[in-house]
Amino acid sequence: MDQKQKYNKLLLPIVLIFSVGFCALISRPKEISATLLTTQKTFLAGNEIALDFKLNMPAQTQLFLHTSLGATSITSENGRFIVPEFISRKKGHVDFQLYHNSERIFQGKINIKARNKGIKEIETYIGPTSIIAGGKDFTMHIVIPTDAYDNPLPDSTTVQLKHQFLENEKEKTLYSKDMIGWSAVYSYAKSGRMLLSSKVDQTTSKEHSIDIFPSLPEKFEITSQREHPYADGNQITTFTTSILKDEYGNSISDGTLVTFLIKDEKGLILRANGSTIHGIATGKILHPDHQSTWEIQAFVPGVAESNTIRLAYTSVLNNFKVAFTNNYRKITVGPILSFMEQLIPNGAIVKLKIFQNHAVHETKVKTSLDGMVIFELEEGFYASGTYDFEIETMGVEKTYTNIKLQ
Amino acid sequence: MRSRNKKIYRILIITSFIGVITLLLFGISQVLSYLNTGADRASMLHLPLVQEEVYLPKVIWKDTINPGRPIEDQTLKNIQKDYLNAWYVRQIAYQNYDASGIKDYYTESAQLPIFQNIEVNKEKEISIHSTTTNHNISVDFYSADGQLVVLTDKGVKEHQHVYQGEKLIFQTEFTSDYQTLLLLEDGFWRIRHIIKEANASNETVSTPLGIAKVVGDKIYVADQEYQVKGINYYPQKTPWAMYGDGFDIEVISQDFDILKKAGLNTVRIFIPYEDFGKARVQNTKLEKLQHLLDKANEKGLKVIATLFDFYGDYSVLDWTLTHRHAEQIVTTFKNHKAILAWDIKNEPNLDFESRGEENVLAWLKEMIIQIRKFDPNHLITIGWSDIKSAILLENNVDIVSFHYYMEIDDFEEHYLSLKSRCTKPIVLQEFGLSSNQGFWAPFGVSEKKQAKYHQQFQEIFRGRDIHFLSWTLYDFEEVPGEVVGSLPWRKHKQKHFGFIDSQGNKKPAFEFMTYH
Repeated sequence: MDQKQKYNKLLLPIVLIFSVGFCALISRPKEISATLLTTQKTFLAGNEIALDFKLNMPAQTQLFLHTSLGATSITSENGRFIVPEFISRKKGHVDFQLYHNSERIFQGKINIKARNKGIKEIETYIGPTSIIAGGKDFTMHIVIPTDAYDNPLPDSTTVQLKHQFLENEKEKTLYSKDMIGWSAVYSYAKSGRMLLSSKVDQTTSKEHSIDIFPSLPEKFEITSQREHPYADGNQITTFTTSILKDEYGNSISDGTLVTFLIKDEKGLILRANGSTIHGIATGKILHPDHQSTWEIQAFVPGVAESNTIRLAYTSVLNNFKVAFTNNYRKITVGPILSFMEQLIPNGAIVKLKIFQNHAVHETKVKTSLDGMVIFELEEGFYASGTYDFEIETMGVEKTYTNIKLQ
Repeated sequence: MRSRNKKIYRILIITSFIGVITLLLFGISQVLSYLNTGADRASMLHLPLVQEEVYLPKVIWKDTINPGRPIEDQTLKNIQKDYLNAWYVRQIAYQNYDASGIKDYYTESAQLPIFQNIEVNKEKEISIHSTTTNHNISVDFYSADGQLVVLTDKGVKEHQHVYQGEKLIFQTEFTSDYQTLLLLEDGFWRIRHIIKEANASNETVSTPLGIAKVVGDKIYVADQEYQVKGINYYPQKTPWAMYGDGFDIEVISQDFDILKKAGLNTVRIFIPYEDFGKARVQNTKLEKLQHLLDKANEKGLKVIATLFDFYGDYSVLDWTLTHRHAEQIVTTFKNHKAILAWDIKNEPNLDFESRGEENVLAWLKEMIIQIRKFDPNHLITIGWSDIKSAILLENNVDIVSFHYYMEIDDFEEHYLSLKSRCTKPIVLQEFGLSSNQGFWAPFGVSEKKQAKYHQQFQEIFRGRDIHFLSWTLYDFEEVPGEVVGSLPWRKHKQKHFGFIDSQGNKKPAFEFMTYH
């Protein structure tokens, strides 16, 4: 009994010690905390980035990385995290947060910078690719210098922009801003092709080209050519412009449309079009079929105009023969003779106007064949009675009144 | 025997004949309907595709003056559309590992790191549900040929919920600045470079007018301490469909008179999310709400307006749409004197199970931030359905609101325990008893019992100056299925919570709508 009590007495402190020990174990703070051992805040793109955390107890932790183009999470048992390549190669701020069992225990950020050596390529954008001569219009030469990992180089990177045009070769040095280096390249007085290139560090770009087109045409002259001055409705008159030039003396672009406006003495307007080749446009138009005087002016619509020229066309005939047969029911016109008393070329228009009681009954139109035109007035259509006739060709008119058809 | 056989044969022949005919007709009809199928005739009209709005963060164009060339409004619109689409397709890609949209909105060299990142996330089953809530964009450069633009987007607030498999591992948010270079390719403005930068912007918060404010655990309106004595209000004829064709301001006006006469000073109303037009709030609905608020102001009643009624998505990708919904309503009425508080959502804790507690809470938290930005003048609360949830987001709201439909005898104990843990004003936002004795509830509560219940509650309120809003003014003839489900005894119960019965007679409880 004594013995037992003695044991009990011994046991009690041991139990106490143990229980206190256990208490200490159980109540030991489970709070996990981390400190970042890596002091480097700025890294070069493409270099390995390792983030080392010191944890107050070993635990599995997750590092959440948030970048320009996305986010991911990596896990580590020992607090050392190697940032994946697709992140460490890209420029920009990277936010990171360390988690343990969904609890955030650390957060911070690092900055990844573009490499300034070993530039991979120079991306160039030039536009518009065609501009107008004269020094008012311009194109933009934009360069996006990037490093080997396609990161835009930082602001204030030196960019050399060059261009060549005819005998001019120019070079400009500038500093990039907002990822790009750019310059407005103005046109010269002459038209032609401009070549552009750029250089960043030791890397040079490809050759790029833009077209400088002539500017707008200035006032120009027109001339006319014709085979004869007769209004035969058969030959063609050709109008030709002088070489259309812009204010800098460049002949304007091929294919510019020129409109020739022709006004006769009655104010009727005829029109012919032509487009330029080597600065010259031609327009063609049939001679009138009656005596007329034309005023001709050419336009590049809305842009430029020519002088006005006048052309007079004289009538090819003064008179023509008309014969009535078959009780006036058959009317034979002709032979119609032209200016040299030759037969008028086929196709001359002859109009017959038939009046009854001073009102137009019908107008018949026929074209000549071998200088002749025949009109027949059938009984079924023209009851017997009194009619007036008016016959017209090549601007000459003849009238027959009180013709009795039977 | 023979005649029986004959009958059997006859029946067999007739049924097989009918069967064959049926099959034949069926076959012919199938062939005909197959031949009739084809392109939808409307497709001949080449109607433009209606793009469903899925992502509407707040975009502000800060400054479009740039050294390149002036930018046209139409171009700005196109850039904004494509730039936001670029964000959206990336969010989809990181959520579902579906990179199909990336090719449209990122140039080839910009796609590469995204694909690599998604590939890794897919391997590790990391899915990131994210959205951005605001963009403040300025144009740094726009090229002469209109093919290249550089933007700076400041203070981009990104919310991210990170899942490992099905499990949400954490939520986080970042505010960053981005500089972006976009190229116009094939009619799309595509991102060529996007660089995240440290956030240098600081949001300006407009100073509140202080139409209502909270100091300690007291509510103040126009610098006077305010004791909420209120009721949850629906017109009798149009419960849960207040802003439809049946909207009648005269009816509402008369009801407000009844409430005011009874000694109440506050009504709680509900603004249904879909009915109001989701992300594009309809003006007609806003006008009706305006009439109601003006009327309340005229009658001297304050309004607690409960937003997002019948809303239940909460997913991160849906956030921006709900932000636009709230923006349009809240900014319209930010100076309205009748409003006491915006109640973000009615009983959101009931969605914890189906939508995930973290999702619901994150949505609420961000919504509170958004609404405060749109309207710093009014208070904010959340109508929790039970007293246990009331303490959630206590630091984010101005007023702690909860609903109580449990035993009346336990109320004081529950209330005091909440009060001891909470420093903000507490509002009992819904309570009531249905006098539903009848066919569906033979042993239900009688109208007398209901009156007694309210009398008892009012005694408690008087003793402890408790802010209260009861449920509800009227007994309803019809209760829509979305409210309590389609079970008739449930509907029946919901029909009889009123102080005035469906015939318009005051029930005994009417006397105890408030204390004096």
